[in-house]
Amino acid sequence: MKVSLFIPCTVDLMMPEIGVAVYRILSHLDTRPVYHSGQTCCGQPLYNAGYRDQAKRAARHFIKVFGDDEYIVSPSGSCVSTVKQHYAELLADEPSWCDRARNISKRMYELSQFIVDVLGITDVGASFEGKVTYHESCHIFRALGISEQPRKLIASVRGAELVELGNATACCGFGGEFSTGFPEISEAMVKAKAVNFINTGADVLLLNEPGCLLNISGYLHRNHPQKRSMHLATFLAENTREFSHA
Amino acid sequence: MHNRVDKFKETARAEMKNELSQAFLLMLSLGAPIMRQIGMSSFPDPAAAEAYGRAIRTESIERLPELLEEFKKNAQAKGAKVIWARDSAEAKASVLDIAKKRGINYITKGKSMVTEEIGLNEHLISNGVDVFETDLGEVITQMLSRAPFHIVGPALNVPPEEISAVFLKRGVIKQPTVNPVELGKAVREYMREKFRYLDMGIVGVNMAVAETGTIINVENEGNIRMNKSSPRTLVAIMSIEKVVPTMADALHMVRILSRNCTGQKLTGYVSMDTGPKKSDEMDGPEELFIIIVDNGRSEIYRDIKVREILKCIRCGACLNACPIYAKIGGYPYGFSYSGPMGQILNPMLLGIEHTSDLFRACTLCGACKKICPAGIDHPSIILEYRARQIKDRKHQTLSARFENNLATCSSLAMSSSMLWNLAVKTVRPLFNSLAEDGYIRDMPFGAKGWFSCRNLRAMPDKTFHEIWKKLNLPNPDDVRKKETL
Repeated sequence: MKVSLFIPCTVDLMMPEIGVAVYRILSHLDTRPVYHSGQTCCGQPLYNAGYRDQAKRAARHFIKVFGDDEYIVSPSGSCVSTVKQHYAELLADEPSWCDRARNISKRMYELSQFIVDVLGITDVGASFEGKVTYHESCHIFRALGISEQPRKLIASVRGAELVELGNATACCGFGGEFSTGFPEISEAMVKAKAVNFINTGADVLLLNEPGCLLNISGYLHRNHPQKRSMHLATFLAENTREFSHA
Repeated sequence: MHNRVDKFKETARAEMKNELSQAFLLMLSLGAPIMRQIGMSSFPDPAAAEAYGRAIRTESIERLPELLEEFKKNAQAKGAKVIWARDSAEAKASVLDIAKKRGINYITKGKSMVTEEIGLNEHLISNGVDVFETDLGEVITQMLSRAPFHIVGPALNVPPEEISAVFLKRGVIKQPTVNPVELGKAVREYMREKFRYLDMGIVGVNMAVAETGTIINVENEGNIRMNKSSPRTLVAIMSIEKVVPTMADALHMVRILSRNCTGQKLTGYVSMDTGPKKSDEMDGPEELFIIIVDNGRSEIYRDIKVREILKCIRCGACLNACPIYAKIGGYPYGFSYSGPMGQILNPMLLGIEHTSDLFRACTLCGACKKICPAGIDHPSIILEYRARQIKDRKHQTLSARFENNLATCSSLAMSSSMLWNLAVKTVRPLFNSLAEDGYIRDMPFGAKGWFSCRNLRAMPDKTFHEIWKKLNLPNPDDVRKKETL
């Protein structure tokens, strides 16, 4: 099965190891990950900021690059949500593009959703001795309704104990431009997330949204450098021995 | 009318340092959603009940003009006098006129957000008609001259010590006390005197039933019922979106409203008035005026992308669910309406150009949309305002032009991987020159706010693009050519 990787710009520029992890997991699961090197960014930051004309340009590029790929998989819920839930409306006044947007939206998958729902796999073969906890990112949990899938993947990791994060579905305070525009409010929110994480006593905070990860890991690095947060893909790839050949 | 939307950021900062506000907000944001959950789960089929409520609100707003006419006709047939007020000035003038013609020197009022919106109290008082709020929370905020902290509980955050002090000053109590029961009893007695000699009362409206011409109020203190039943003249003020088609719809919405508002199956009091007192009845007002206030709402109705704002039933569930409201409370929003419902309503009432912070102070987390019993998609409306703001101002100021150009450059880079990768190669060394031990801790320009509490990893030597290229992993375009892997 050919799987087209959509690696979000945050991952491409800031955290490419997540992209590598996605590649390794998907190859290990007997799919054939491919990567269109023409891809850039879905345009979410422009769209959220209100720059719709500019966001349209990014959207048209995205649709062109991914063409008629059957499975487009991304390690970000907010990027998937942008394409899936906003492109058609964004391109509403350009009927042929709007149709293509509607069409592509049916072929977009968040990584954990793809592995569990499409591939039907919950155990990727990872083992980890320790306690982990999981943050329910807003766009994964509320916009896409994905929660069971990552939890199943985590629950199947041998040796790992999944402990519940207090107020797990509360926003971490990232929100793109929000984090720089309203730094005090954003800080109060990410601080609450960090406190809840520390209170679980877990070794690692897992999440599958690069934006949240930039925010939470940046806060932890400054304030609690001993605490670790990781993308679920990185966690699974790092803790699966058979992947080392990839 | 309190309008300090321009002070959003500084009020928010102050509120985040206010320990009392913080303690209260923590309690509210943890407790209220649970209360709501318990309330909703008392429906035999909560999801169906919620869907039915959403359908009623959708129908009410889609048929708004027709339902308002029907409501007016039926209310008039029952003897009510219906007055249309296009804006706040007309609404205020109507109320003042009613009071002046009857030689009234004071009125009492019970829990109406729309009168707060139009600034009715200030208008009446400055024209010689005294106004006494009667909802306990509103009595307190009125005496403290403060904006409502929450649309449902305007003074929930005010500690007993402060209430005692202001009650003492206003002669509600003789001796200071922080005992809530004593404070409640004292204000009750104080209010009873006002009700005893009352000639005119003002109330808001929770639902206006088109089919019957009935106005419905829900409450827990009984003050609205006193306002409605004590005076000779009753004035009910409603904004246009309060109308629902049928009595059955209204009763379902009462059940939905109570559960979403306070977690109750039903509030302590529900009062329904269909016209004034009939000749063979003993109780009730001799005249009933219903003032239907537009104040910008027909604009909202005509604006199809934001029309759904009008579905709001003012339950406050979105405030209790919002992670930002939970940190800053109601004051920063600077107007009658706070939290997500205020963030979508206030920009239409006050102008998008004056309310930027309201629709920018949102992470688009979607908690409001998920909880909303009226089915409003708040994040979409917030995104719509952002787009309108950018469209309106992109050529106006130098900084707006600069930001617009920056966005255009980004979009050009996003539509060409060659440009994208070139931009990365150019920016990376500059960006990384700010890093120490692989992390950036501050920035002399740009996204400064990020660094007030966070570090940022320096950009790795290679982007995923570059790693992919170097690993010489299969490129789909090559795959297409070779049809093999």
